[in-house]
Amino acid sequence: MDLSIPLMNSLTLGSLYTLMALGLTMSFSVTKIANFAHAELVTIGGYVTALLVNWMGYGLGESLIAAFFASALLAVAMDEGVFKPMIKRGSKPLFLLVASIGIGLVVRYLLFIYADLNAVITVQAKANVQLIGRFGRAGITTIHLWVFPITIASVVLLHLMFHYTKPGKALRAMADNEDLARVSGVKIYTLRRLMWFIAGGITGVAGGLWSAYSVITPEIGWYALLRIFAASILGGLVSFWGTIAGGLIVGFAENFGITFMNTYFNVSTAYRPLISFVIIVIVLLLKPTGFAGFDFIGWLKEKMKGGGE
Amino acid sequence: MQIEFLASYMPIFTSFIVLFAIYLIAALSLNMEYGYGGIPNFGHVFFISVGAYMAGVLTARTVDYIAGIKAGYCSGQASVLRTEYLSSHPMEAIAIFVASLVLGAIIGGLFGYAASYPALRLKEDFLAITLIFIGDMGRIIARNEEGIVCALTGLTGIANPLSFIKDVGTRSIAYALIVVAFAVLTYIYVQRLAKSPFGRLLKAVRDDDLAAMALGKVVPRVRGEIMIIGSALAAIAGVLRTFYIQGVVADDFQPLITFLVLTMVILGGMANNKGVILGTLIMTALDQFISPSFLSLLGVSVEFDVTYMKYIIIGVIIILVLMFRPQGAIPEGPVETPALELSRSSEWDVEEKLEIGGEEESSSSSE
Repeated sequence: MDLSIPLMNSLTLGSLYTLMALGLTMSFSVTKIANFAHAELVTIGGYVTALLVNWMGYGLGESLIAAFFASALLAVAMDEGVFKPMIKRGSKPLFLLVASIGIGLVVRYLLFIYADLNAVITVQAKANVQLIGRFGRAGITTIHLWVFPITIASVVLLHLMFHYTKPGKALRAMADNEDLARVSGVKIYTLRRLMWFIAGGITGVAGGLWSAYSVITPEIGWYALLRIFAASILGGLVSFWGTIAGGLIVGFAENFGITFMNTYFNVSTAYRPLISFVIIVIVLLLKPTGFAGFDFIGWLKEKMKGGGE
Repeated sequence: MQIEFLASYMPIFTSFIVLFAIYLIAALSLNMEYGYGGIPNFGHVFFISVGAYMAGVLTARTVDYIAGIKAGYCSGQASVLRTEYLSSHPMEAIAIFVASLVLGAIIGGLFGYAASYPALRLKEDFLAITLIFIGDMGRIIARNEEGIVCALTGLTGIANPLSFIKDVGTRSIAYALIVVAFAVLTYIYVQRLAKSPFGRLLKAVRDDDLAAMALGKVVPRVRGEIMIIGSALAAIAGVLRTFYIQGVVADDFQPLITFLVLTMVILGGMANNKGVILGTLIMTALDQFISPSFLSLLGVSVEFDVTYMKYIIIGVIIILVLMFRPQGAIPEGPVETPALELSRSSEWDVEEKLEIGGEEESSSSSE
């Protein structure tokens, strides 16, 4: 059995999931909103990239920058238009979740109408893709040259920002305790805007890369959302490094899992999403904090004692 | 002239009534779980689909077995033969219908009990995330398995239990009456449940499960029970739907159905069954009348698929209601107890009334 193709797919998809999940982790840790409209940030990024490349003839790089701004602005608009007013009125977190589903419906089906009128219900960015090398039987293309560096750069930049700059530290303080951050002089609403901008932008770039990697539809975000949540939940919805591990685990588990099941148990590859779902359920039930601050030794000790209630 | 006019609109009217009643059962059950019980069961469509698949599988397998239909489970020929058999054997058709309802409710309840396992252990929003995805996973399994509802093609030939009635108009009205009867029974049931001590316990658990636990209530059991009840009711809605559209397709049970039903509950008012009726009426009207067939009847035509419009409107309603009126059109009232009814009838003089045979007073005042 040749593993080079699933390995390459796992790495690529794992990186894309990571990139998408970083935004969700960021917005959840700071605002505590389980944002289902996050899916639409992916979709918008994908469509902006695909349409700019196909219709306007821009290169992939410029289109990705446009995708960054489009999704970033959408994310800020979501927060300013819906989440912030609701929080100020004292909404429960669950209502915010439901409202995010509402936003998702509006954006997704507006896009559906647009795509239907312009005959782009399925579209792929016709980026200049060239084969530049081989890894076993799997080809390495220029898309991979975009995906991996962007993912690594995003992670490093986010890490630097959150640990070495003032707004980043303030955001971490907000994630920890918003009231305390506020009385300490942190301008929480400005920072929130910044956070949504960055979170939305990264997600949009991930969507753009996805549109170059494969065919997208207005539902691509919903399709990806399961994986995004799986990756974020593996990272405990707070930790960046956990999210990276989560994204890669989801990518690998999906590709290897389904290849394995398909080869040995004749399971249809259509069951691919079930793997992410199982990951979500298992992590939430057994270890809701994911990898965040995972203390393996301590966990083992507790298990040895028999885990008294 | 006028009768002809009415007759041409009759099918639209009956289909509206049937869908309204089916959605009402689904919405009332979600209201029981979410409004009263505080369990965000956003995988509601899964429990509806369980009932729908149950009805389809049971009917198709049983009829294939009794009538000795050899043409494959999913074939079009089998579907024709099934319809023929069911329309010529009324007793069997009705027996299968009743069996589907009972079994559907039982299986739905079992799945609800299984889903209450995470429901006891997860925080509200994580539970909502899990349940939303549970709803979609059920569909993904069903659309890929030949054995359940024939994967993508869908299972057909699940003839209406009343298909022995030859006249289509009479038959659809008769079936509408059956469905409405179920909706009314469901309403009476949930209303009584809500006013019972169990209903008050549910609200107590929803508002503060720690306090309820401190008072000696077994919180996991309460949550498990309400999930069983809610899911069984949702499954009944699914069974009624399968027999109404005379078939079942996995892709009909998109997560959007959950959000449509959820909008009915939120719009009408959570933990208020009267509000849910109002919400269901509005949303069913939207669902029915923003459709290509109805708009073409009015002579309106648009370039794109109008169902997209429907979802946009649903999204806007969700956002606006949650932002400006989270309690819904008809807010949750105080807990209905005999003491409250007494106090209403007697201008604040509760204690006096309670001394003079409160029983009689309360029953007369409730009318």
